Parts: sequence; structure tokens; C-alpha cells
Amino acid sequence: MFVKQLLLQVRKDKMKKYILKRVLQLIPILLGLSILTFLLLYISPGDPAQKKLVSMEAMITDELLEQMREEMGLNRPFWQQYADWFVGILHGDFGTCYRDGLPVADKLFRALKNTAILGGTSMLLAMLLAIPFGIYSAVHQNKIIDYLIRFISFVGNSIPSFLLAVLLMYFFCVKLKLFPVVAKKNGLKEMVLPAIALAVPVISRFTRQVRAEVLDQMGRDYVHGLRSRGVKERYILYRNVLRSVLVSIVTLAGLSLGSMMAGSVVIETIFGWQGIGKLVMDSITARDYPVVQGFVLIFGTIYVMVNLITDLSYHFLDPRIKKEN
Amino acid sequence: MKLKKLMACILAVSMAAGMTGVSGVSAEEEKTLTIATNFSYDSIDPHEGNSSWYNGVYGLTENLFKIADDTSIQPCLAESGVMEGNIWTITLKDGIKFSNGNPVTPEMVIRNLQRSAEINAKANFINDFKFDVVDDHTIKIDCGDEYPTLLNTLASPGYAIADLDATTDFTKELVATGPFVIENFEPGNVVSVSKNENYWDGEVKMDHVDFYYMQDDDTKLMAMQNGEIDAYTGVTAAAKEIYEADPDTYNVVTLPAKRLQFYILNENRLSEKLREAINLTVDANAMEEYLGGTVTATVGPFSSTVQYGQVTKPAVDTEKAKALIEEEGYTLNGDGYYEKDGTVLSLNIAYYASRSLDTLATLMQEQLKNIGVQASLTCEEDPDATYMSTGDFDIALYCSIADMTGDPEYFLSGLVNGFYTIGGFQDEECSSLLESLRHEADVNKRAEISNQIVQRLIDQNAYGFIALFNKITVLKKGVTGYAETSPFDFYGIDADTTIE
Repeated sequence: MFVKQLLLQVRKDKMKKYILKRVLQLIPILLGLSILTFLLLYISPGDPAQKKLVSMEAMITDELLEQMREEMGLNRPFWQQYADWFVGILHGDFGTCYRDGLPVADKLFRALKNTAILGGTSMLLAMLLAIPFGIYSAVHQNKIIDYLIRFISFVGNSIPSFLLAVLLMYFFCVKLKLFPVVAKKNGLKEMVLPAIALAVPVISRFTRQVRAEVLDQMGRDYVHGLRSRGVKERYILYRNVLRSVLVSIVTLAGLSLGSMMAGSVVIETIFGWQGIGKLVMDSITARDYPVVQGFVLIFGTIYVMVNLITDLSYHFLDPRIKKEN
Repeated sequence: MKLKKLMACILAVSMAAGMTGVSGVSAEEEKTLTIATNFSYDSIDPHEGNSSWYNGVYGLTENLFKIADDTSIQPCLAESGVMEGNIWTITLKDGIKFSNGNPVTPEMVIRNLQRSAEINAKANFINDFKFDVVDDHTIKIDCGDEYPTLLNTLASPGYAIADLDATTDFTKELVATGPFVIENFEPGNVVSVSKNENYWDGEVKMDHVDFYYMQDDDTKLMAMQNGEIDAYTGVTAAAKEIYEADPDTYNVVTLPAKRLQFYILNENRLSEKLREAINLTVDANAMEEYLGGTVTATVGPFSSTVQYGQVTKPAVDTEKAKALIEEEGYTLNGDGYYEKDGTVLSLNIAYYASRSLDTLATLMQEQLKNIGVQASLTCEEDPDATYMSTGDFDIALYCSIADMTGDPEYFLSGLVNGFYTIGGFQDEECSSLLESLRHEADVNKRAEISNQIVQRLIDQNAYGFIALFNKITVLKKGVTGYAETSPFDFYGIDADTTIE
């Protein structure tokens, strides 16, 4: 009993150390990311001061350009600009947007919240539909329903997202009048269609992946063994096969969640969803360095944490990994 | 007894029914408009470079002067402006006040202009001005030098007058003089305004207007068809066709605006004759037709409807263009292209994929090919950092607002000795004319000088002016007053905006 408790405690401590190690790895990763992004922005063609003046429809003169550069702090050396920004980050200050002088943190976190809601909803929708469809398709392999599901997932994966978004809007908003075209707020009703538009390609990919994994597992020896011992098919599927499939699904979900969280510019533009994708695209075009840098920092963190959670989930989903650890 | 109870009930119900008509204006009588916009800024600061442009659209702010539909300067908060040498005397109107009831004073006007200079780089010339309050309606401004277009400048975005003491957060609250006040501001989503009950200039017809940010053209079309929005500008050619097919439901207003599509010919690489040949080949009317009504072909940088847009250019003449190229020693080869000494005449057209310039580049390439001139296309993501800085082009396509203040000087200075001379244009006569324009106060003479400058630019084949973007506004039948007759983008709703 004591030994069992001790082993449990050791395993918990190992887990804590593992998590701490992964979290600490964030520091060099984010440092490297931020320097690389800053450098790439710095050396890329395009002058933020000039861009700002052009957007203000101001006639650009050398004097005005110099003044704007000074106001924006762009006449300082690269290392000084980066150092000032980095020190600000350590104090929780992401700086101010070049275009309108407003705090970058406010813009990013407001947009991030909207994107997280939309991305999270889309991912949930994807998981709720892809797993049952994939399983059903695999269990009824080569039957009409299998062909139908595969065809639909093929179409879903192929259709461009902007076309899908416009079609959804046309049928459900204009023809059936079930939803409003104008997103008056980022609410539940307004979220349905963009979530579907974002989820459809993911559902299509996941469905095919689940189907392939289930078919692979159903052909394994342990499944034949269970069948020969008279275990019910449903039990084999949901208590054994599905657990094996979940590891790859969780991996896919982890990879997809990151890109979903980065936001879809097209979906956000069409549905008027105030997410982070569009904010960052506009900032890159305008050479708004502080916003782009802030985005890289936040999403670097999100990607690392998502990967960590994905890795930790293996520990619980797959007994073999648990045993190895 | 029973009768008494019945009478009491009837009386009570009658009184209750009567009370519902006494409570004031019912919800049905409130006039509301919903408008889609294709821009969104995180601030409604009236002096900040970008956001100031749209406060006028929201009906929140007014300037000392305004630019009328015919580009003349009209009084707004100020009654008049008179120039004597370096000094302008501005007289404010009687009774002008902010939405909180505070009067607009000369001191507050001066503070607004100084704030504009402080936070908007474009306005920093105001720092050199000296202001003097003459009386409670009159300001004298010593500009230090003659400044004939001061009133035009004061009428343009960035110079609105706000109550600087009452406004605590310029990014989302604003106390100004406009017919509407801010009710709700959600950056990137909705701007809601309601009637200014203290509006100094009469009755405001609308009670409430919502502006929704909708960038996608298909979304705006569907929202309009669904009846969810009542008006918007920036209608595409495809949507225009749909709306014009249903005149009972929609009213479409199209007029040439101020955004110019033009190209710069590189004098450092192209001879006079080649430049002339190019200008004789580029068919702006064909481009206008191709772009389906979203642009209007133009002769010069300004619309022919204004006094300073009265210029001429030779009609398209491809035979003459060919003759000019042949005078340069070029001959047609077996592939149908001109060449000299074994080298094919190949021009590089630089452009960026915005404002239909990509379409124009392709059309231009096709038109040049038809006369035997090979053209290659170079698309740059950022023209200002590439070909507009380096001069690495034969033909550079660009798009800019040519007339922002109802006066040509600003844009002409860029063409004659400013930003657009990257193509090597230099002309003493034009520079001299520009200098005289700077000091000319008479509007008619200014137009005359401007026309002379533009005519020289056309005659010397320094530039090619293709088209002006049309401002296309669609309104639901019964909606009027969304500045649909103004060629400027910075006007929108006002006190007369209404819906029947």
C-alpha cells in the first residue's frame, strides 16, 4: 500500500516536472519567434511611416516622412526598437498600434476572444459530427451510406471556404430567412453559419481520417480475438477501437485547433465576425509591427500550450504511453 | 350593485386604453436607418488621421466650412472667411452650439485646430500659425505666408470642431456640433448614433442610425436584398446591375468621385515619341466599359464637371502611335512586335492589385500588344516601397484621391515636383505656374492656372489619366440624404437624412 502510494506520488511529481519543463520551453521558443518576426518585418520592403501617411491621404514629403518616423520611433536602430518592445512585454505592455495609437493588447485580446469562441465552437461541431460519421462510414464500408459520406466529405474538403460561406448565407439568410445577414453582435445566432463554414472542411478531413483509422483497427488481431471470444461488435467498437482511434483524432484536433484559432480571414470578412485573422492581415499589410509582434507572441504561446495538452492527453488515452512513462 | 361594478370595470379599461396613447412617441414612429460601411476604425477621434475621415459620415461632427457637391466652399459653423495678405479673418455663425448645449467659442475653435496639429502629422503646418480672438465671433489667423486654400483645408477631414473640455475619451465618446450624437461605439462592428436634441441648425429628421461594418460585397448585397440595411456606398458593378433591375425597390445614384486611376511614364527610360505613342494607344473609354460602370473615363486628374477639370487630350489613334514608334527606328518583326537592332520593344508595367489596377494593367498590356508593343506586368504588394521609390518601371499604375478639398493644388504639387515625379518629370513652366497657384486667391484664376498645368502635363506625355472611380450609392426607396450627390467620401448622414 505504502509502495503503491509512493509510486503514485513519484508519477505525479514526474508529471509536474514534465509540465513545468514544457512550460519553461516556452521562453526560448517565444524569444526566438519574436526576434525572427521582428527581423523579418524590419527587413521586408515597406515603411510603416509611409504607409500611415498614405492611408491618411497625405502628400508625402521627406520632412513629413522623417517626422512620422520619429513619432513612431522608427528612426532608432533595430536592436533598440526590439529591446524597448521586449521590456514593454515584460511589463505587460504590448505597445500601441501604429495606425491609430490605441493599445495593441486591447485590440488583440478583444479579437482573440471572438476568434476563440468561433474556433472553439467549430472544433466542437467538427468532433461531434466527424467521429460518428467516420465510424458509421467504416462500419458500413462499401455500402451506399459509406459512399455518400465519403462523397460529401470529398466535396466539403474541396469547396473553397469563401464560396461555402456565401452559399450558406444565401440559402439560410436570404432564402430561408433563418438567420440574419448582418451580424449585429457576436452572439449565438450570428455564430451558427460562420461556425459551420469553418467546421465543414475540418469535418470532412476528420471523417475520412476516423474512417481510415477505424478500418485499420477493425482489421487488427485483437479485434479478431475479441470477436472470436463472442464480445459484441458494439462493445468492441466503442470500448476498444475508438480508444485507439482517439489518439490520432486528438493529434489532428490539436493541429487544427491552432489554425482555427489563428482565424479565417475569409470567414470573418464575409460574416463580419470581429476575429483576429482579419486584424492581423490588415496589420501585416500596413506594416503595423506592434500588432503583428503581439499576435506572434500570443499564438506562439497558444500553439505550445495546445501541443502540451495534446501530449498530456495521450498519457490518459493510451495505456501503452502511460506504462512507458 | 352589479351594475356599479360593471361600470367601474368599463371605466378602468377605458382609462387604461386611453393612457397608452399619452405616453409619447411610440416605437413605430421612431425613424431608424441601418447603413453598411466598408470601413472600421477603433476610434472616433475627430482629429486623428484616419478616423476623422468618417465622423462626418456618422453625422457626428462639422467643420468651419464644408465642400458642396459642386466642390465650392460653403459656410458651415463659420459664416465667412476673408483673406488679406497672410491673414484670414474667420467669422463664426450666431447660435452654434455643441450637443451638450455649450456654445462654440472662438477660443474652442482655436484649441481644436491646435489639437489637430498636435496629433495629426498632416496638420502640423498649423503650428506655424498665429491665432487672435477679435471678439466672441471672430478669429484672425496669421498664416505666416499667403494661404489661399485655407478654407478648403478647414473643410476637409481632420479639422472638425469638438468640445474638448466635455469629451473625456476621444476614441469612443465625442461631444461635437453634428446633427447626431454617439450612442454606441463597438469598434469593428457597429456605430450607433441618435438625434442631437440640441442641434443648432434646425430639426434632425432621423431619430436613430446604425452603421454596420460589412466589408464583403456579397454580404452587403444580400443584406440589402433581405431588407436588413437601407443604404450603402461602394456598390460593385454586379450588384449595381441587380439593383437597377428593380427600380421600385432601390434607388441607385452614380457620379464620378475623386479617386483617380492614372499612370506615370518614365521619362528616364522612354523617349518623348514613345510616351506619346503610349498615350495615343491607351483607351480609357474601353477600360471604363470593361469595368462595368464603376469608373468614369477622364481626360485629366479632375472631373470635367469642375472648373479646374477643363482640359483636352488627343483621341486614341493607334495608327499615329505606330507611326511615332517607327520614327524611333522600330520595325515589326515576324511575331508582330516592334524591334530595333534585334531587341524587341518591351515595356514593363508596374502595378499593385488594388483599386482595379490589376485589371487596368491587363487591359493596357492587351492594347499595347494590338499595336505591336510587348508589355510585361510586374505586380507589387507595396508600390510605395518598390517601384514608386525606386523608379524601376516604364509605366507605373497608381491610384490616389486627386481632389480631397475641392481645390487642385494639393494633387498638382505631387505631379509637378512631388511624390509622383519618380518618373523623372521636370518642367520649369509647370513649376512656375504651380508657384503662382500657391499665391492666387481668386477661384476662377486658380482654375485657369490649374488647367494650364494639367494641359502641359498631358501635352508633354508625363502621365496618363485613365478614370475616376464612381461613387455608387444604393438606397432603399424612400431613403434620401446619405450624401448620394456628393462626390466626397467623408460626408454621409445629416439633419435632412430621412426615410419615408
